Amino acid sequence: MTQPQKRDQGHWGAWAAWRAQHRAAASTSWQKLVVQPVVTAVTWLVIAISLALPSTLLLTLDNLSAVAGGVDRSPQLSVLLTGDSELPVAEQLQRILKSWPEIDDVVLLDRELALSQFIQQTELATVVGSLARNPLPHTLIVMPGPALSAAAMTELGQRVQTLSGVDRVIVDTRWVARLETALQAGWRWVLALGAVMLMGAVLVLGNTLRLAIEARKDEILVVNLIGGSPAFARRPFLYLGLWYGVGGGLVAALLLMMMTWWMAGPVNTLFLLYESPQTMRAPGAFYPMSLTVLGGSLGLLSARLAAGRYVRQLVSLASSQNR
Amino acid sequence: MLMIEFDRVSRRFGQQDALRNLNLQIDDGEMALLTGHSGAGKSTLLRLLLLLDRPTGGQILVDGQSTKQVQGNAVGHYRRRFGVVFQEHRLLFDRNVRDNIALPLEIAGFSLHDTNRRVRAALDKVGLLAKERADPNGLSGGEQQRVAIARAVVARPEFLIADEPTGNLDPALSVEIMTLFEAFNQVGVTVLVATHDLSLIARSRHRLMTLAAGQLMQAGVA
Ligand SMILES: Nc1ncnc2c1ncn2[C@@H]1O[C@H](COP(=O)(O)OP(=O)(O)OP(=O)(O)O)[C@@H](O)[C@H]1O
Ligand SMILES: [Mg+2]
Repeated sequence: MTQPQKRDQGHWGAWAAWRAQHRAAASTSWQKLVVQPVVTAVTWLVIAISLALPSTLLLTLDNLSAVAGGVDRSPQLSVLLTGDSELPVAEQLQRILKSWPEIDDVVLLDRELALSQFIQQTELATVVGSLARNPLPHTLIVMPGPALSAAAMTELGQRVQTLSGVDRVIVDTRWVARLETALQAGWRWVLALGAVMLMGAVLVLGNTLRLAIEARKDEILVVNLIGGSPAFARRPFLYLGLWYGVGGGLVAALLLMMMTWWMAGPVNTLFLLYESPQTMRAPGAFYPMSLTVLGGSLGLLSARLAAGRYVRQLVSLASSQNR
Repeated sequence: MLMIEFDRVSRRFGQQDALRNLNLQIDDGEMALLTGHSGAGKSTLLRLLLLLDRPTGGQILVDGQSTKQVQGNAVGHYRRRFGVVFQEHRLLFDRNVRDNIALPLEIAGFSLHDTNRRVRAALDKVGLLAKERADPNGLSGGEQQRVAIARAVVARPEFLIADEPTGNLDPALSVEIMTLFEAFNQVGVTVLVATHDLSLIARSRHRLMTLAAGQLMQAGVA
């Protein structure tokens, strides 16, 4: 009887054996990547683009939502009076509006004051001076009580509009509502785009892996012949998928940094336009980490699907055909 | 002690019987040659033994246990008791000699240290210690076959199974390969070699089993 073969594994143990197998599979798979730099680079780039594009948009939307959320939302009405309404009329309207229960406060912007401010800010003194009369109307800033719904605001605006001497009522919070609607549409658009691009990444990855597996089908057959489990035969390809995915995720993180840097200019201008004090946030650690994890999981998933099927097919073929 | 027993084993492909009610016993530590004309069923018999195929009738017993029960994950464990050498040596040409031979040890989960030690020992036995880092593409046919034998024995299997191991080789190399098998048999490995190389059969002092029409013709010492 030959001495059976489990012998000098005693001190070694199943856990260490498992680790050794994984280390071997991981490193040989990595070597496969290194010897095919073009395939590797293209695969990484495809995954990176399909991850980076939606996440850049996501990051931008994230920033814009912060604007919409950060703006002082207490709504107010700007009531522009007709050009011929003089100061007493304006003061009387101010008193009337102040007496309404739903209104907290009314501030009068004197048109003479407004004009001189305008001249100061724009240095258009000569142009304005040449005008026959002040083109600005008196303006009342109406601050309603808290907890007034958007609908009530609109209704209030309509009622103010009917008062005599009032030319136009501007509900100042409309742009926030508009931005929010736009952002909501944006989120959906980004999610749809992201889903499509991820699907593309999985397909490309699956195809690359399938080719890699086909190129190494001898290995699967030999492993099967000498007693390796299907899991053992699959393992190098799972690592291959993992490296493709993680690499793609890291490149995506790099692309994301570049794209946010590139977009920071216009987005910051947008912030200024909306009088938001903030500037575009850098991706931080969360985005690159999520991208790497996401890429890795995609890689593993694609590899599991591609390798699982192919290994099963090959093994059952090997067992049914005469060699 | 009896190790391998074929008990009225049949393997039918469509209308044709590759093996028909075949009875066969191989003892522990024995070396046997399996011969027969082309299509006699030699490869089929070896494939059944390795569970690469299943009988359509009868049963195969190893150590008195029917292989019918060996299913799923147990198949891998079962196959690891065998070292296998085929005519198409099935080396992997994307890795060097050392990594080819290390594969069964990797599957069995040996440490890197033990793996290296055993690979070198196996290479030494087949006389290829100098080729440890060589690319198999650059080896001669005989050298490739010896690498395949090193891979088959590196994990110290109980059985060594070979299907036409000398098919591609010139007579001198064939004798060399058979001498290697004999050496492994000498240290206790049970060896079963399928061949129709008559010069090898003539020179062998081992038991000869001849297959014809799916059955064993004669069993005896040639
Ligand atoms: N998968 C299969 N499907 C159909 N017939 C098969 C299959 N495998 C083997 N056979 C048939 O079984 C018979 C025995 O084949 P086998 O390969 O075992 O012969 P062999 O003795 O190894 O021949 P050789 O010396 O040519 O290798 C042959 O007639 C062959 O055609
Ligand atoms: Mg054959």
